Amino acid sequence: MSETALDVPARAVPRAPRPVVTRSAGEQARRVAKSIAASGGAHIVLILASVWLAGPFVWQVLTSFKSLSEATSVPLTWLPQHLRLDNYKAAAIGVPLWSMLANSVISTIVRTSGQVVFCAMAAYGFARLRFRGRNALFAVYLSLLMVPAQLLIAPQYDIILKLHLLNTVAALFLPGMFGVFGTFLLRQFFAGLPTELEEAARLDGANTGRIFWTVMLPLARPGLVALALLTIISSWNELLWPLVVNTDPAKMPLSVGLAYLQGVYPTNYPILMAGSLVAILPLIIVFVVLQRRVLEGIALSGSKA
Amino acid sequence: MNLARNARSLAAAAAVTALTTAALAGCAGGGTGTGTTTASSSAPAAAAPQVTISYGLWDPNQEAAMKQIAAAFESANPNIHVDVQVTPGQQFFTKLQTSMAAGNAPDVFWMSPVIFQMYASNGALKSLDDLGLDTSSYPSQLVKGCQAGGKLYGVPKDFDTIGVWYNKSLFDAAGVAYPAADWTWSDFQTAAAKLTDKSKGVYGTAAELNGQDTYYDTIFQAGGEVLTADNKSGFGEPQTIAGLKFWTDLIANGSSPSLQQMNDTTPLDMFQTGKVAMLWSGSWNVKALAASPVADHIDVAPLPRGEKAATVINGLCNVEAASTKHPAEVKAFLQFLGSKQANEIEGKTGTVIPAFNGTQSDWVAAYPNYHVQAYIDQVPVGVPMPVSKNSYAWMQTEGTTLAGAWTGQMPVAAAAAAVEKSTNDALAKEQG
Amino acid sequence: MAPNTMTDPTRRTRAGRVRPPAAASLPTRRPMRRSDAGWALLLVGPATVGLSLFYLWPALETFYESFTTSGPFGGHTWSGLHNYATLLHDTELRGALLNTVWYTLFGLLGVPVSLVLATLLAKPGRRFVAGYRVLMFLPAVTMPAAIAIVWKWLYHHDYGLINLGLGKLGVQGPYWVSDPHTALIAVAIVGMWAGIGYGVIIMMAGLEGIPPHYYEAAKMDGAGPLRRFFSITIPLMSPTIFFMTVLSVIASLQTFDLIYVLIGSSNPSLPQTRTVLYLFYEHAFTQNDRGYGSAIAFSLVVLVIAVTAVQFKLQKRWVHYE
Repeated sequence: MSETALDVPARAVPRAPRPVVTRSAGEQARRVAKSIAASGGAHIVLILASVWLAGPFVWQVLTSFKSLSEATSVPLTWLPQHLRLDNYKAAAIGVPLWSMLANSVISTIVRTSGQVVFCAMAAYGFARLRFRGRNALFAVYLSLLMVPAQLLIAPQYDIILKLHLLNTVAALFLPGMFGVFGTFLLRQFFAGLPTELEEAARLDGANTGRIFWTVMLPLARPGLVALALLTIISSWNELLWPLVVNTDPAKMPLSVGLAYLQGVYPTNYPILMAGSLVAILPLIIVFVVLQRRVLEGIALSGSKA
Repeated sequence: MNLARNARSLAAAAAVTALTTAALAGCAGGGTGTGTTTASSSAPAAAAPQVTISYGLWDPNQEAAMKQIAAAFESANPNIHVDVQVTPGQQFFTKLQTSMAAGNAPDVFWMSPVIFQMYASNGALKSLDDLGLDTSSYPSQLVKGCQAGGKLYGVPKDFDTIGVWYNKSLFDAAGVAYPAADWTWSDFQTAAAKLTDKSKGVYGTAAELNGQDTYYDTIFQAGGEVLTADNKSGFGEPQTIAGLKFWTDLIANGSSPSLQQMNDTTPLDMFQTGKVAMLWSGSWNVKALAASPVADHIDVAPLPRGEKAATVINGLCNVEAASTKHPAEVKAFLQFLGSKQANEIEGKTGTVIPAFNGTQSDWVAAYPNYHVQAYIDQVPVGVPMPVSKNSYAWMQTEGTTLAGAWTGQMPVAAAAAAVEKSTNDALAKEQG
Repeated sequence: MAPNTMTDPTRRTRAGRVRPPAAASLPTRRPMRRSDAGWALLLVGPATVGLSLFYLWPALETFYESFTTSGPFGGHTWSGLHNYATLLHDTELRGALLNTVWYTLFGLLGVPVSLVLATLLAKPGRRFVAGYRVLMFLPAVTMPAAIAIVWKWLYHHDYGLINLGLGKLGVQGPYWVSDPHTALIAVAIVGMWAGIGYGVIIMMAGLEGIPPHYYEAAKMDGAGPLRRFFSITIPLMSPTIFFMTVLSVIASLQTFDLIYVLIGSSNPSLPQTRTVLYLFYEHAFTQNDRGYGSAIAFSLVVLVIAVTAVQFKLQKRWVHYE
């Protein structure tokens, strides 16, 4: 039987033996052609979507090698005449690159770890545990999600000030370790998982904590990875909060370095694009590695139950 | 299940990382704020206690100059350390307000006249009347820009005026003579018409919708006002309307691209790619223009005169936070900032025109290929930026309303009347 | 073993779903656990403490501010409902609210797009999945200035790709970004575009959670691909779809940066594109009226809460939890 583009089986599951269906050669050929056409159709859609989504990034990469006049030409020039590296050199000067990189890395790791851990715990609590005030508390959580971040900057600054953590690396990641988005995302995941496993585990005498740790967390792995990825992205790119809460350039993350660069070269797009690419490169590497691990993990994991 | 093992090790790794980095961060950080501290780890062998004051600014381009000034000050005052803090771009004011609300503003910082009144009238700044500043050392318009309610709250730091940049190649190709120093509106309009070549997509000029760059200047040149002496809108005056019509006429007769076109491509971009022959632009843009693709065949001229010659003059002030804990040290630093020496350091870097009379030649010398002296020469006819307690409130509505006149959707007189009303409403709100 | 609909109102059975082979039968009611409260404290506690300190308390503080007339630098004088009363007459705000609603509706288009793309990618044996995923993820890491430049070029009246294409069809394209009639759509599309990468990541994660035996069984029953998509994928993905919908609405209602980057302040279509949050920023930070700005922002919060509450109520009809 042909599998088509819209199916999603993602695991190698031991299958029950199926009745063998004999087909004519013509029918076989037709089915193969159909499958190739469907696959080709899918690839066309995917390619178009990828071009549409990746276009600006491609332009950014190409522009980082252009001269200023090529970059500002109207209409847009896509390809640089020569590949010039001076934009990268210019971008690298004048900002304490390494300490900013270290700050970005530290703050992103701590923040993402915090998010994944705290949100997973709370999400499981909301999804599976019963306790008084659960729905009310979740409602409060959700309403916090709707408060725009810009609104909270001044009071958050005040709290960090009172904690004597102003102008520290800790200030960069502390508020971001807690999030409603992650709790909501993982709650949906946990809520969508079948209960049989938990019930079986309870029958075996496991308590809630053990169930969470050994049964639910592994099952929610796709959600955990997704949350980690999204948190890494937003932490890496965060600009306003670090600028407000820290003053020493040595305590700033990479995104601030980029803002400095924009202040120095407000309209020199090739230099700005080069700087931004350098700042973004670790993020892309992380994404490529992480998403491959997810795919591997799924392929190797065997059956779920 | 290896998934469980992975998850467990992931979590364990995360926990260890979190603890380690938190510990590291705790060791590394521990600053007590952006404000002032009375201890310094690298105190020189001076007997007097070290005081650190913070100096907040927003332009990374000027960071080097400011640090030089700070260093010069510190060598004369070894017990004071100046911590130069740069917060680039728009975030500067967000950060300023946030830190001020928490009582933690920088001790000294830059202030723009447009927003200056709000800070001064709300008690956020300290009066500098007792600084002993000789205000005759600076252009009077700048001193006025740093005053509120008759008191001095800031030390003039720099200034900018507007000039006309023109593309010599386009002028040569069209056979138009370069602008003379005393050229008039009609000279400008004629040149713009001659320089426009629709077939090549070249325009004589660009009627940018930006008060400081374009229409405030022409309003003043026509003898009109943006704000009257008793703080009301001047948009009802016929001369003001004439100043506005200068630009809408240019759009209407095709010498300037339309507003929509200028939104698709900015006038600066158009000028830099040779699509606009004359651009009204402030002295802050000189550095960028000198590095642009057209740098080799452009030059600058003073603004044309209408009924009279005029330009908008605007300049930053160095101000003192009311919340500062070190008024004596700040006073000393502000006096230095206003000194000839500090202004000369500024001028030499070529990034801004320093305010102190007679220190501008270094800035001019930084751009030998262009007649940037034109910017300095216009100071006597400079009119300060129109400001009020909450300038942005009416400026934004003004821009949105005038867009209607720029696109030809409403006649200029009607737009001006609408602006007059909205500005007066906003100004009235300020009082009440 | 039906799930416990009596004890957990968020669960529902749905007749006709394909069920996996059962383990031993379990009692339909779990004994009440007093220890749930203890575990709940342990699990939900840390997040709640952190959120209360860094988000709830600041939100309450700002809420309080909306009832004050603030000097911009910390001086508050209580003014009761004055800000909210002014709000109701603010025509700028009304326009911004309408714009924000439109953005939200447009933004929802991103959800099915993400789902379809994710589904196409998640098929086993699909080649270049990693490559596609990385490419689709790129908007999340592209510099906003680059995004603005490329999109403004796409939308350019004279040289833009879109108008060039329309020209070939004999249609004169408008000034997408400057024409008040089209500017909102233009910006909304960019907003939707920016969210697709995130959507694909989240959807793919959700798809990986679907047990494959459902599809096996359906195929054995003779269900075709489209039928499988609508009868299996969508219902089982409904918690994730719901999540994406709620998030899309919340994010769209908070559109802000996009306006700054695509629409300048001298753009004639600014009133037709600015959002509520943009107005908040103008009032709170540019015009230094934090009290009024907070009032605007909290009105937005109330709106978002209302819409989300409605969505949650409606979820009972179409979202399936196990």
